[in-house]
Amino acid sequence: MLPIPSAHPIDMPAFKSVLSMPYTLTPGKAVGSFLAEIGRRRIVGSKFKKSGKVVVPAQDFCPFSGDSEFELIEAPTTGALTAFTETDAGMIGLIRIDGSDVDFPHRLVGAAYGDLSVGMRVEAVWAPDVEKSILGIEGFRPAPNAPVGKIRSLEAPAAPIEVVPYTLDLHYEHAFGPYYGRLFDEIKTNRRIMGVRAPDGDGAFLPPREICDITHKPTGTWVEVKQTGTVRAMSVIYLEFKGQKQPPPYIYAEIMLDGATTRLIHTVAGLDMKRAKELVKPGTRVRAVWRDKRTGSLDDISHFEIIDDKAG
Amino acid sequence: MTPSKVAVISSAQTELRSAWSEAQHIDLISSVVAGVFKGTGLDLDDVDFIIDSGSDVLDGRSISNCGFLGAMGAHHKEESRVEEDGLWAALYGATKIAAGGADIGLIIAYSKPSESDFNAFYATQCEPFYQRPVGFDHRAASGMQAQRYLAKHKLAPKDLAGLAVKRWSDASRYAKVQIPSVPSEMDVLASVNVARPLTKLMMSRPVDGAVAVLLVSEEIARRINRTPVWITGLGASADRHSFAARSAGALEACEKAAKTAYARAGWKRPEASLAELGASSAVGELMVMEALGLAKPGHGIDLLKSEGGTVVNRSGGSLPADPIMATGLVRLAEASRQLLYPDTYDLRNPSSAIVHGWGGVGMQTHCVVTLEA
Repeated sequence: MLPIPSAHPIDMPAFKSVLSMPYTLTPGKAVGSFLAEIGRRRIVGSKFKKSGKVVVPAQDFCPFSGDSEFELIEAPTTGALTAFTETDAGMIGLIRIDGSDVDFPHRLVGAAYGDLSVGMRVEAVWAPDVEKSILGIEGFRPAPNAPVGKIRSLEAPAAPIEVVPYTLDLHYEHAFGPYYGRLFDEIKTNRRIMGVRAPDGDGAFLPPREICDITHKPTGTWVEVKQTGTVRAMSVIYLEFKGQKQPPPYIYAEIMLDGATTRLIHTVAGLDMKRAKELVKPGTRVRAVWRDKRTGSLDDISHFEIIDDKAG
Repeated sequence: MTPSKVAVISSAQTELRSAWSEAQHIDLISSVVAGVFKGTGLDLDDVDFIIDSGSDVLDGRSISNCGFLGAMGAHHKEESRVEEDGLWAALYGATKIAAGGADIGLIIAYSKPSESDFNAFYATQCEPFYQRPVGFDHRAASGMQAQRYLAKHKLAPKDLAGLAVKRWSDASRYAKVQIPSVPSEMDVLASVNVARPLTKLMMSRPVDGAVAVLLVSEEIARRINRTPVWITGLGASADRHSFAARSAGALEACEKAAKTAYARAGWKRPEASLAELGASSAVGELMVMEALGLAKPGHGIDLLKSEGGTVVNRSGGSLPADPIMATGLVRLAEASRQLLYPDTYDLRNPSSAIVHGWGGVGMQTHCVVTLEA
């Protein structure tokens, strides 16, 4: 079981975060052709040369043999249901398009779950105004009298779609745990920066943690570190990139707070950026500047400012 | 050169909970790493290498093992990550020791699906052009597997409910799993439909937790005053990514993995005293039993009633507790404990075990390990 930390866990609500990843996906020739033909209401498959297998929807590689030599074919819009289920995304089934050697997972429409049976004849339902997406086929509906369709060669194929813009959003609720919980609670409530003592000394680890990363020994008691410190490394950021918190240029620095044995990464600001490299160097003394707003994160510290030793 | 024998010498595991909301990944990991050495006379300094298993997508950070190295005790050590279930990490570690390259390996797997949407985790494994837009995911794959299986073998959802109840009941009795209450068959059947015919309680329940296992060479095992459990067979296999192109009604990759493991162990048949296996659904579990050769196709359910033979999932398996990416390594830890302390598990003189782990949408990949006391 988890050892009990030297302070009660602070009941901080989970930290919400989103990873939002933009992609430009490359579908390749087979899938790109399938997507390009959706607007023309044609279903494209691949017929592999060596195995003779027909794969609908189209693939660049035979899922059975890995063979990559194929010709594009036009598949019929009819087939038979081979498996089905219902999830919160709706009814979904495996459809064996007439003439295909592999099933096609897609939505089932126009029927109730209880009406479905394996072997049932189905036909594609086209969605109005959807192009370049598999959702140009809204789904497959029961079609008891649909005749068995045939595979044909694909006449005058459209140029394959080369790039598909795509975004993946993943949502998280991260637990703080007892150590980060107290760290951020103290920052929010008391504007104190709390670390824990190293296993073998008075110097504090920041962020606080249960065990020492180097020796794997349990850390010691809580200790407040000072809000002043010394720059140990710095970099002026000129590049723009996704997820950036502020417009460049700005300074990132590794700061050893007085009383800590680890370095904290934060920004140094409030100075003439033209003289950044001259004013901020390893050894420069800095002090935390707090924002008015309290959120319980390191962002409650707006930045670190240079301590003007001459001014005292 | 004859491969060195490899022993499981110790394991440590947190309780498996629906949410460890008061602990970070590193808290769970450091807890099991500290615990796994107890009673062995070994410590981190003795460890030659660390292999860990977890998911960057579930963790919400890229190359997340880099952030967890300190908690794993991996500072300045040889460390490697397996982005598969933890049983593959054990396979990797055992192979390394068997090859003579190292003597002591620390294997770690962890999971906190409570911090994210585990359905999204599985959706990221699906293909973005054809599968994700239509809602094809692990639930749909499991549901279609179940629909086909029940129809083919003339079984009813009630049979699956019986299996789920047995597993939850065993987990509450024998395993380190937080169980609010053991559901009845009615509860299982009445729980919300996740992927018809599968209800929520017929699917594996994602839980948070961490597990660590110490693997050692024969020489070290002989020197430690602790009864070893020997790893005698290993096998892994991956099926096609395209669910639609896999064989309907069978888990071929699982059959292959088992065949390899049994052959390495010199087993003609899977006559193990016990088996710890996992699956993403109750039907998946029946299919795994059959793929492992414990029952004939369509007869996995008979193992529930039969006394004698192989005891399956005394820990409850993955239906009541599936710490995704750690589930297979938990099975290895469970099976080792059951072989060493049979009285605790109401087992009679068990001498061998089959351990199974899996991964992927619709159970694409499988890993099988045989253990002998």
